[in-house]
Amino acid sequence: MLCSNAVGLIKQLERTSDDTVPPYDTDNIRIVLQEMKSLYDENVEIVNSTRDHMEDAMFALKIRHRALKRNKRCLLAYLWNRLERIKEMRWQIGSILPAEMKCNFSPSEEQWLSNYNKSLASYMRTIGPNGGLNLLQNLKPPKSLYVVVRSLVDIGRIELDDGEMIVLKKDAQYMMLRSHCETLIHQGILEHVL
Amino acid sequence: MFIENLVIDFYNVIAKQKVLILVNYDIDAICAARILQTILKYDAISYTLIPVSKISDLISSYKEHINNFKYVILINCGGTIDIVENLEPEENVVFFIADSHRPTDVCNIYSLNDQINEDTLDNEENINNESRVAKRRRLDEQSINKRLWEKNRRRILFEYSQFSYYGRSTSILMFELSWQLRRDNFDLLWWGIIGVVEQFILNKIEILQYLNEVEKISTHIGRLCANNDQVIDNSSQNSVTSSQQSSVSNLKINCEKDLQLALYRHWTVENSLRYTMFTAVGLKLWAIKGEKRLHQLLVEMGLPLAESRQQYYSMDLSLRNEFHNMIEKMSDTRNLTHITYPSFTLLQGFRTKYQAADYVYSLLALLSNNTRSKNLRDCFYEAMDALLRVRKDLLDDGIEKSKKLLMVMFKHVQSALDMKQIMTAGPFYYMVIQEGTINAKYCSNPDCLWLLATFALKAYVTTSRKSKAARLPLIASAPLEDGYCIMLGVPPVTETTPRSFFGKAFEQVAEKTGSVIQADYFDSTAVKLQVADRAKIFDALVVLLS
Repeated sequence: MLCSNAVGLIKQLERTSDDTVPPYDTDNIRIVLQEMKSLYDENVEIVNSTRDHMEDAMFALKIRHRALKRNKRCLLAYLWNRLERIKEMRWQIGSILPAEMKCNFSPSEEQWLSNYNKSLASYMRTIGPNGGLNLLQNLKPPKSLYVVVRSLVDIGRIELDDGEMIVLKKDAQYMMLRSHCETLIHQGILEHVL
Repeated sequence: MFIENLVIDFYNVIAKQKVLILVNYDIDAICAARILQTILKYDAISYTLIPVSKISDLISSYKEHINNFKYVILINCGGTIDIVENLEPEENVVFFIADSHRPTDVCNIYSLNDQINEDTLDNEENINNESRVAKRRRLDEQSINKRLWEKNRRRILFEYSQFSYYGRSTSILMFELSWQLRRDNFDLLWWGIIGVVEQFILNKIEILQYLNEVEKISTHIGRLCANNDQVIDNSSQNSVTSSQQSSVSNLKINCEKDLQLALYRHWTVENSLRYTMFTAVGLKLWAIKGEKRLHQLLVEMGLPLAESRQQYYSMDLSLRNEFHNMIEKMSDTRNLTHITYPSFTLLQGFRTKYQAADYVYSLLALLSNNTRSKNLRDCFYEAMDALLRVRKDLLDDGIEKSKKLLMVMFKHVQSALDMKQIMTAGPFYYMVIQEGTINAKYCSNPDCLWLLATFALKAYVTTSRKSKAARLPLIASAPLEDGYCIMLGVPPVTETTPRSFFGKAFEQVAEKTGSVIQADYFDSTAVKLQVADRAKIFDALVVLLS
């Protein structure tokens, strides 16, 4: 049946959850493209050969043309949605995506991602007076920039993201930037207190 | 130097800086730290807060953390020791000391480079005394008669540092800072109140001083609660928001006369009467006849025995409403004058009222509750969290523990009197809590030992027939781990101002006998020493004081 592969691509994308990108289905895409090529060729042939009996060929022509358009739409939707998902992942996970995700991308998608990263970074550098603003932090407005944390273990001196040194001793209480201590809380070094 | 204006000289200096906060283990300090934390949070000032229990602890914590900080705030610690000499700070480090311990070390006030800022608006007498010392110091360059001057200087310094006592509560000072910054709110005021009431309950300040504070606080209550009333007015006009705002108006602090009965709202009346120091001393409850006297009091009050053994909140409502009047009426005839004192109650919604003293007892129990599974710092944070309104479970847990603590104290005093463990040594009494006693672990906390010693002394004085008894102080000693013990002096009952000269006395004794006394506590009346040296020290004290 015409267009079944193209719809299959969409369905395949639909079946996976929103926060993953399924492997780039090169085979199916090639089949769809081939189908489109053959449809186009057949159309061209009809138009060239049967100039007189246009009336009879018109239906076949129209059906093929619709099928062509539909295939195109499906392919574009497939690619567009994949890009949307990749963009989403970029904002959620960060500029460097894990390798097991990247292996599902097509080469052009990878290219697009690196371009996207570049333009995002250069945009962020231009915001604000000093050195830009990290838009990726605090996607939702935080209640407070600082949080009170308690150290659970003796770690000693560590360096924070902004180059400041801090001494973490067991049972001391700190007020720190939320962004600084988030990873430390994940690691179980700090505990958030009220 | 003393700070005159808290906002300009203290707060504006630390704003936008990183600060290191060192907090002593006592209730006043915890409340003050909580208030300060809240203020700093509004301005997003990052800080590191470390609890310190002893002077050695202070020094080691300071050295560990100081590298990153230029500003250090000491809460209820460090005022009585020479900071520059002990901590050996770098040139650019600035200290702010908010300490209710007195006397403040002279070197801290007149430090050469003004590195240390005393965070107190101190009482006049103190400052005058100091300036005299300074003036004399300046005069000496021209003076020929240097020796006379030095003698004089030493005398003044000695007089100044002779007694150790307590000044204004630090937490109320912090509350005033928040007030001046227009950041005061309900919780901050309540924490400030707890700090003041703690000083009163633990007998650290004079009653007059306390009444002064109460008066000041009541104006704050008027201001902050008036806002609440306004909220109610608004909400009645604007019915849509009324449901949200009524939760705010359910909070209320009342300043009212209350009974000096410990925890009675959360306990049974009988137990509360029995285990409160005030009534126990007044009725001599430890004696065999004590129980009879207690029952007689209940009878005369018209409170059925069955009711008095119920939890207070499940007592008959009419009895509960009458309870204050009944006991007040009885108090004069029963040697219990001044059973009421002005206090504060916190009302949240429709639950049981909490008296400020309930908080104090609860926190005290939480602080002294160090067992094997919990170290001191866990206790500190537990007490700190119990102040939050959302952590009422901790507070109630503390109240249960403090009941136990009060019972233990009462039983200890009873047995000490029965076994004649309180002994005279000429110019003072002494009481030694032997190692291995079940209750010994409660006594390693200076605050608890202080409470116990005061209780014991008062009880002893009422039983003693000698008229001299009331004029003698008491030294209590309790075991610590590793062959050390803590020793602490309590001023005599007749002394109206709760100040004690033992700090200086211990120091001199140590000089004379050559034994090692570690004045490691921020309160100079308490010292740590080897158990083996104890007898020697007692002998030397007798010689010194007689």
